[in-house]
Amino acid sequence: MNVETFRYDNGIVRAFAIATIFWGIVGMAAGLLAATQLFYPDANFQTAFITFGRIRPLHTNAVIFAFVGNGMFAGIYYSLQRLCKARMFNDTLSWLNFWGWNGIILAAAVSLPLGLTTSKEYAELEWPIDIAIAVVWVIFTVNLFGTILRRRERHMYVAIWFYIATALTVALLHIVNSLAVPAGPFKSYSIYAGVQDALVQWWYGHNAVAFFLTTPYLGLMYYFLPKAANRPIFSYRLSIIHFWALIFIYIWAGPHHLLFTALPDWAQSLGMVFSVMLVAPSWGGMLNGLLTLRGAWDKVRQDPVLKFMVVAVTAYGMATLEGPVMAIKTVNALSHYTDWTIGHVHTGALGWNGFLTFSMLYWLMPRLYQTKLWSTKLANYHFWIGLLGMMFYVVPMYVSGVTQGLMWKQFNAEGFLQYPTFLETVLQLLPMYQLRAVGGSLYLIGTILCAINMYKTAKSGRFLAEEEVKAPKLDSIAHHDSHPWGHRWLEAKPITFSALAFVAVGVGGLVEVVPLYLIKENVPTITSVKPYSPLEVLGRDIYIREGCVGCHSQMIRPFRSETERYGEYSKAGEFIYDHPFLWGSKRTGPDLHRVGGKYPDAWHYNHMEDATSTSPGSIMPAYPWLLTRKLDTNVLPARIRALRKVGVPYPEGFENGPAQEELARQQRLVVANLEIGLVEAEPDREIIALIAYLQRLGTDLKLEQYLLSTQP
Amino acid sequence: MIQKVLSAIGGVGVYGVIAVLLFFGVFLGVLVWALRLRAPYLDRMSRAPLDDDDDDDPSSPDPSNPRAHSPDHE
Repeated sequence: MNVETFRYDNGIVRAFAIATIFWGIVGMAAGLLAATQLFYPDANFQTAFITFGRIRPLHTNAVIFAFVGNGMFAGIYYSLQRLCKARMFNDTLSWLNFWGWNGIILAAAVSLPLGLTTSKEYAELEWPIDIAIAVVWVIFTVNLFGTILRRRERHMYVAIWFYIATALTVALLHIVNSLAVPAGPFKSYSIYAGVQDALVQWWYGHNAVAFFLTTPYLGLMYYFLPKAANRPIFSYRLSIIHFWALIFIYIWAGPHHLLFTALPDWAQSLGMVFSVMLVAPSWGGMLNGLLTLRGAWDKVRQDPVLKFMVVAVTAYGMATLEGPVMAIKTVNALSHYTDWTIGHVHTGALGWNGFLTFSMLYWLMPRLYQTKLWSTKLANYHFWIGLLGMMFYVVPMYVSGVTQGLMWKQFNAEGFLQYPTFLETVLQLLPMYQLRAVGGSLYLIGTILCAINMYKTAKSGRFLAEEEVKAPKLDSIAHHDSHPWGHRWLEAKPITFSALAFVAVGVGGLVEVVPLYLIKENVPTITSVKPYSPLEVLGRDIYIREGCVGCHSQMIRPFRSETERYGEYSKAGEFIYDHPFLWGSKRTGPDLHRVGGKYPDAWHYNHMEDATSTSPGSIMPAYPWLLTRKLDTNVLPARIRALRKVGVPYPEGFENGPAQEELARQQRLVVANLEIGLVEAEPDREIIALIAYLQRLGTDLKLEQYLLSTQP
Repeated sequence: MIQKVLSAIGGVGVYGVIAVLLFFGVFLGVLVWALRLRAPYLDRMSRAPLDDDDDDDPSSPDPSNPRAHSPDHE
């Protein structure tokens, strides 16, 4: 046999592992800060940069793309080399992957606090960073396939299938969802509007959970769980069914994020049906993981690595049962927009992703440093404190979510809303928010203990940067793949395998997204809906910059409890000029779709200066900087041009003069309205634009008095 | 009958039928794929992660376990 000697690259694995721990602490600390602001708004220190609306996307991006992203790369770069019996395809690509990815994270950590955001959840980064993400992802994909093609094992193990599905699908999702027309170096408008933007965004958002937080980690589970338990996977057959059924079904389920919205009914129903079906493959995978531990449960009691893994896989099972339940319309009517969703995602994030990452690190670091773990006891402390932290996070969120959902819907004996003031329902939740911060603190302390343990382990050992191994060349291994198109044959054909996987994920996306473009009846037009005025465009951009969408939805569902509280339910045709859509996914504050004309301009002015002046006890942060900062109108022409490119019918040449005149006229009107409310304000401040936008919201449909009175 | 049940979930129409047929097609196909695989191959592949050269478990108090027991090494 022709045996070759080669070396595994451990340096890149270590780099990603260190970045995982570092960004984990940063991302969790940002989360804790955001959580604290929800019961103590002054924790933003009256600073725009770290106010909730900006720190919340920083937290989600840091945890998803920095913590889990680096963890995923660490695990893939370690396991892929070993499963392929080959060094990574190209060292330069490996390091470009590392520095590129972490450079992107750094750019996110700077740009999000600056308010540079698209506002699309988990896709907030602006277009130059989006392009960088695409480039780095291609580098990773080339490195992945290069390694697979140079493998010394004929057949690809199940973990590699999940890595392939991850690489291909994330590229597809990221590119399609990020398509936008730039309006300056750090500003862009989505090419999609309203309902279409919502569907594409949640096709992306849902499948980012599927193909960034789930499939790569399932690959890691299939590799590291057998390793840590020293047992083969329970059923290889089951893993085949798990893989194909999961990647095929997952992609269809995105619309369950948009139940009862203005999305056409057929798309909602399709999303719901496929979400329920998703339980089967998810639980197949979970059981495959847990049953791998048959006969090894005694080891679970002693080994912290296995403890973390058991909880991770169990949390995966709980989250993937809970998700489909929440996707059933009747449950969703209660759970949507509440903290229930926050509890659900944290079962996945803290339990599944967090604990699997920790188990992998505890297994990996001693091996990279050829030593024992510095302290098993400390790892056990981490396990218990992390588990306790998770409980203190998730349980209060369930209590809070169900409480608020029920309060929103409660009518009294006379048929009126029992809690007509939204704030009443929020104030009930404050103890739960405090408990959640306790949970988050415990989890963060656990992560710091992990960092200490990793550091001490590294200190006590010697790093093995290059690991020499021997394996026979692929050509010299005899093989008997007699059945073309059998799965065994397919496992030896990475390109055919990848093409089939791509088809499996592509079908669902096509069936869902394409009809919305081809069938006009899906978005009925409303003649009174007109494009935003120039001042409203700039006001909307401030709304996006401040991350208002993080706490306020703009989508009234067709329930009596909502139409009583907010007004007429939202129609698809009202959003045709919304690039991007701002429907939101969480109501920490009330829905704003019909806030236009509900309060006088002066109310908004006072409310933004200090929310407690108009709403005693409010947890909304103060925005004093909006009152003093001058509105930048120089950006207007570029923004009007970009909006015209994405389909908003501003007349040609509108941006060269008429737009500025219209803007100045509307500024004067808002100032005049403020004077009626005894507020003196300069017309050129940001707050004026924001008020103009808020007063426009939802008024197209109700032909609001306010607009009529402000027409010149 | 399937059409009736599916259209009752609201506006889903022919998409529901296509979706369910597709799903069952894919599921049955994958099931056949999985069942056609032979035991020795399944056994070898399911042990793939244990088949490295660096599995001397440094953190375990019990040094007796590594994967020298993998059938490929026997």
